[in-house]
Amino acid sequence: MPTHAPPAAPGPARRWDVFARARTTLDALEHLAGGFGTAVLALVVLLSAVVTALACLVGVGLPLVPVALRGVRAVAGRERARLSRWGPEIIDPEPAPSGLRAALADPATRRELGWVATHAVLGLFLSLAGLTLPLNAVRDLTFPLWWRLLPPDEAATASMGFWTVRDLPGALGVGALGLGWIAVTMLLTPGMARLQAWFGRRLLAPDPGTDLALRVAQLTATRAAALDAHAAELRRIERSLHDGTQNRIVAVTVLLGAARRAVARDPADAKAILERAQDAAEQALAELRGVVRSILPPVLTDRSLSDALTGLAVGCPVPCRIDADVPVRCAASVEATAYFVVAEALTNIARHSRARHVVVRVRRRDDRLHLQITDDGRGGANELSGSGIVGIRNRTEAHDGTFMLDSPTGGPTTLTVSLPCGS
Amino acid sequence: MRIVIAEDDPLLREGLALLLRAESLDVVATAAGPDGFLRAVDAHDPDVAIVDVRMPPTHTDEGIVAAVEARRRRPGLAVLVLSAYVEQAFATELLAHGSSRLGYLLKERVGRVEEFLTALHRVAAGGTAIDPDVVAQLLARTRPDSGLDRLSPRERDVLALMAEGLGNTAIADRLFVTDGAVHKHIRSIFAKLDLAPTDQADRRVTAVLRYLEDAQRRW
Repeated sequence: MPTHAPPAAPGPARRWDVFARARTTLDALEHLAGGFGTAVLALVVLLSAVVTALACLVGVGLPLVPVALRGVRAVAGRERARLSRWGPEIIDPEPAPSGLRAALADPATRRELGWVATHAVLGLFLSLAGLTLPLNAVRDLTFPLWWRLLPPDEAATASMGFWTVRDLPGALGVGALGLGWIAVTMLLTPGMARLQAWFGRRLLAPDPGTDLALRVAQLTATRAAALDAHAAELRRIERSLHDGTQNRIVAVTVLLGAARRAVARDPADAKAILERAQDAAEQALAELRGVVRSILPPVLTDRSLSDALTGLAVGCPVPCRIDADVPVRCAASVEATAYFVVAEALTNIARHSRARHVVVRVRRRDDRLHLQITDDGRGGANELSGSGIVGIRNRTEAHDGTFMLDSPTGGPTTLTVSLPCGS
Repeated sequence: MRIVIAEDDPLLREGLALLLRAESLDVVATAAGPDGFLRAVDAHDPDVAIVDVRMPPTHTDEGIVAAVEARRRRPGLAVLVLSAYVEQAFATELLAHGSSRLGYLLKERVGRVEEFLTALHRVAAGGTAIDPDVVAQLLARTRPDSGLDRLSPRERDVLALMAEGLGNTAIADRLFVTDGAVHKHIRSIFAKLDLAPTDQADRRVTAVLRYLEDAQRRW
């Protein structure tokens, strides 16, 4: 008999496929358990948000607003990451504004607040209810094993009042109820898990229109910055080849010309000129090596990022410690960017900071390369003071990385850069 | 011959001065930038200025600007511009007010001392020295129907040397022919290109360069 079975679509498993259904149920229980964690956190931040709101009403809550907003953002971010693990990825929104008015006007923050309230109440209830079902099943299934240990009064009501449990058949009946609980669990929990996630997916996903527009604008800007950085780099190379190496070689030819003319006149004179010509040729070679190194340091390709950075530290006039732990290599362009960020930062520090020590920390975490360069100099560095920092920002953002400079007057200065590894 | 050198690269500046002094030429001052150069021109009243194109602060065309300004201040000053690479726009800017007492050469030509000194003397004597590369670029970029295709290969050689600023005798030496043969070629070239014939070297250079530039612009 031909059957018109529906194609195996993601969704509710077909009823008769017990194993598939069991798997779905276990997944759902896992999700509900995870949801329980974020629901408890949501309850905490909901309560603190309410407290903050009340404190604002009596006029003392404003300083708490950024803290509460950070809490909301943190829990929402955790839920986004959790949901992204078992469904379509949910992209983080732009950083939340820290002011109260701006935050309340920010649609992403308002939706997050709505999610916190929903998840703290309905989400918590769904998790608790969903997780209670299998516990009930276990309790009832094992009931015939331990019912005799119960005081008779308590044991008597174990069948939810359907019958009074006084003997083994009655207890076995309770055991059968356990099967019922399993059926209910299998029937309900997938839906409950989906419902719980639905609110998160609905409220935590970026507003479709605005967010893509923002992302496009951001990409356009970083792309332009990438091309700018590229052009600036080419200009730098051209300049150093032109005004350095080429001039040296021209000087060599000029001196050689002069030497040739001098040979007939005064051989001693010619010898002196040839000496200078050789000096100039050696200078040309040294400069050429410098240019090549500045395009892409060979040690970076031959060895590793840590080795290349150690080389930089050795050449830095300020004592510098490299604390690099990068077991897995990143894409070549990312490593080159990291290298130049550190090189540029060390140059800046040596030039302006009057620091006595520098520490460069490099870590690879979550597919991102994290750089942190800290010096104990006089601080007060900003992007307006020198082009070096702008260059670092451009190079970083060209790779879709993030850049942070913390440099209070009096120091210490910390430059934090994080780059997607691209591998 | 009193010479002022403007070149920002110290090694090259000293090398040039050394070379010229060894040839018993009088290098009266050297300068590392356009301002120092103009001061030196005012102070020493030289016959010839040798000027690098790229100088501080922006390392673009400071040398050209300074050379034009120096000639505005002292119309009789001969200027030989040295450049690390051939940029026809610089040549055009430089030659905008005639080609007399002007030279534009690649830096490395200095190493061929005899030719460099010939060019230097030619410029100091009121002539012109245009780098063969500039002329080659002009010739290469002209459009096919510019009239140049009516020239014979030998006539093209003569035209190129004329554009560099060489006089009839120098052209004859370079091509291993007689003066008379060169004269004949030049008359033929001027006729084919509809240019007014002249024997005065600098006016001839100007005419030829203008012609080549026009031929290029119509491209």
